Amino acid sequence: MKISITILFVCLIIFSCKRNFEAPVPDTHWNLFESAEKLPSMARPGVEGIYNFKVGSDVFGAAAAAKWSYSANGNDTIYHLSLFCEKEVSYFILEGKKSGDSILLNGYWRKMVNTETGIARFTIAAVNGARNLLNGIPMGAADSLVLDGKYGNGPAMPDQPLRLKYNRPLYKAKPLQIVAHRGGGSTADLLPASENSVAMINLATRFGATGIEIDVRSTSDKVFVLFHDATLNERLIRKNGLLGPIENYSYDQLYTLVRLKQGERIPTLKEALHTVVYNTALEYVWLDTKFTGPIDELVKIQRQYMQEAAAIGRKLEITIGIPDQQVLKNFLALPDHNNIPSVCELTPDDVVAANSRIWAPRWTLGLQNEQVQQVHAQGRRAFVWTLDVPENVFEYMNQGDFDGILSNYPSIVAYYYYAKQ
Amino acid sequence: MQNSKKILLLAACIWSYCAYAQQGGFTSQPVKRGDYSFVVYVSGGLGHYPAYSKDLAYLDPKIQNVNPVSTIRIMWHPDHLVKVGLETGYLTFLNYTLTDSAGQRGKVLLNATPLLVEWTMALTKRFNVFAGSGVYFLTTNLDYKGKTRSKKISVGWMAAASYIQPVTKNMGIGAELKWLDAAESRDGTICLQLQWVWRFLKW
Repeated sequence: MKISITILFVCLIIFSCKRNFEAPVPDTHWNLFESAEKLPSMARPGVEGIYNFKVGSDVFGAAAAAKWSYSANGNDTIYHLSLFCEKEVSYFILEGKKSGDSILLNGYWRKMVNTETGIARFTIAAVNGARNLLNGIPMGAADSLVLDGKYGNGPAMPDQPLRLKYNRPLYKAKPLQIVAHRGGGSTADLLPASENSVAMINLATRFGATGIEIDVRSTSDKVFVLFHDATLNERLIRKNGLLGPIENYSYDQLYTLVRLKQGERIPTLKEALHTVVYNTALEYVWLDTKFTGPIDELVKIQRQYMQEAAAIGRKLEITIGIPDQQVLKNFLALPDHNNIPSVCELTPDDVVAANSRIWAPRWTLGLQNEQVQQVHAQGRRAFVWTLDVPENVFEYMNQGDFDGILSNYPSIVAYYYYAKQ
Repeated sequence: MQNSKKILLLAACIWSYCAYAQQGGFTSQPVKRGDYSFVVYVSGGLGHYPAYSKDLAYLDPKIQNVNPVSTIRIMWHPDHLVKVGLETGYLTFLNYTLTDSAGQRGKVLLNATPLLVEWTMALTKRFNVFAGSGVYFLTTNLDYKGKTRSKKISVGWMAAASYIQPVTKNMGIGAELKWLDAAESRDGTICLQLQWVWRFLKW
């Protein structure tokens, strides 16, 4: 008996050890790529489209949707080509350059269902479409463009072959807002930035998002900050001894003492919206109201950044989230609530009462096609949240009538959307 | 996942104590009842918090790793090898000071009051082991650009081993080595305490 108990204890202690999961972005340095020239802007649009994997489909699935995104920093704009794949919610994020009459694409790949990641490099040879792209000649025919490349696992040099052939343009017939949860994705998914951080917002379009949902809370000195959970905890922040509701702390205290998991500070709402307006191509922001006080100051910030976006010619819609009856009550208390863009998660009747632009039911309520059509008939839109399972995304995309999908995995929503025919 | 493993470990502890308790002279036949008693354990000592210096590096803090820990425990001692009771107390998990880039000083204290249901049994005449689970009432006391007090409740557990030297028929002194762990915030401290034990009620 004593021996068996001892063995049991030893096993339990060994298997109780915490396993750290990581999916670090690999070092993508590539000498050939570093010495290449900037990719002319005229070459970019022709690369977008649906590609079939001729080599590599066993790892990434049958097809990929290629879509450019950008992040701006003053006059410096960086473009990324994302390849969204179906299998195991995988994607590639690549930068492009011109090398002679070829195009080089360099970056990394990741699978969201696990921690698999690695380096990815592609070449579009002159005879495989690069010459036409670089001369601004429109592509279009199937197989007119070929991406030849390799991928590696982890930090290893790429040695596994990949080949993709252009098949057709991206689907864009019926617009869909692809809304990334928590500013772009969840901290738990081991992304390169923490959820609800400025860094994550900068990444959102690379993951396929056209909009973001961010969680707004108020500090003890009434500064709006982004934070999802009701209390400070080790899921979201580094251990520092601070616990309890975020509303207990002043902004100065949080600014100095708290770091998100990837080392970022908790951003103010203003910092986040400034990033959206001036650094990204995001078209939509859902302010998930996670405090219960008056929201007039929130509306002022909403207006300020919608005006700033309009002033620089940016198409941007910012909506106040109405997740519960208390927030609805506070919203209806605003004298001009009928003219304030909002997204209401409650009943269609509440949507009418608040004159919300968007009705946002949870996905577990089902497709609700009849209610969605009624909302459409009122001149409103309907977004569904939070769809993360690929099969559910596919079902809602193809059998539902929603105008937007909120997801922690915008890349799979992007794949199913752009791959529609 | 990690918390569930700790709970599994705790369950294994309990199971093993029970298994020990079944050995020897155990019988399911009715026997004459022995003595029942209530015993109080009053403990005071120091706890060492394995500081997360890597996590806290961005603050460049001065961490006080050793802090006082005081606990009180009341156990029901039936005529059986396994006893049950409650433990509470007051301890400091994390205690550090910092100075920000502007020279402003700050202090952070993370204190806890555990409330744990515990089981114990004697492995030898004077050597006892304890294990328990329950909740920790955690309080952050922050003094930086204003004072903030913030609370949170965490599930948690403890494990301990003690040596008791009898002084009188109903009293003893001893030492206890104890691990106190608030699972949700992953705060744990190892304590070495001096212990005063008093059997204050017997029937």
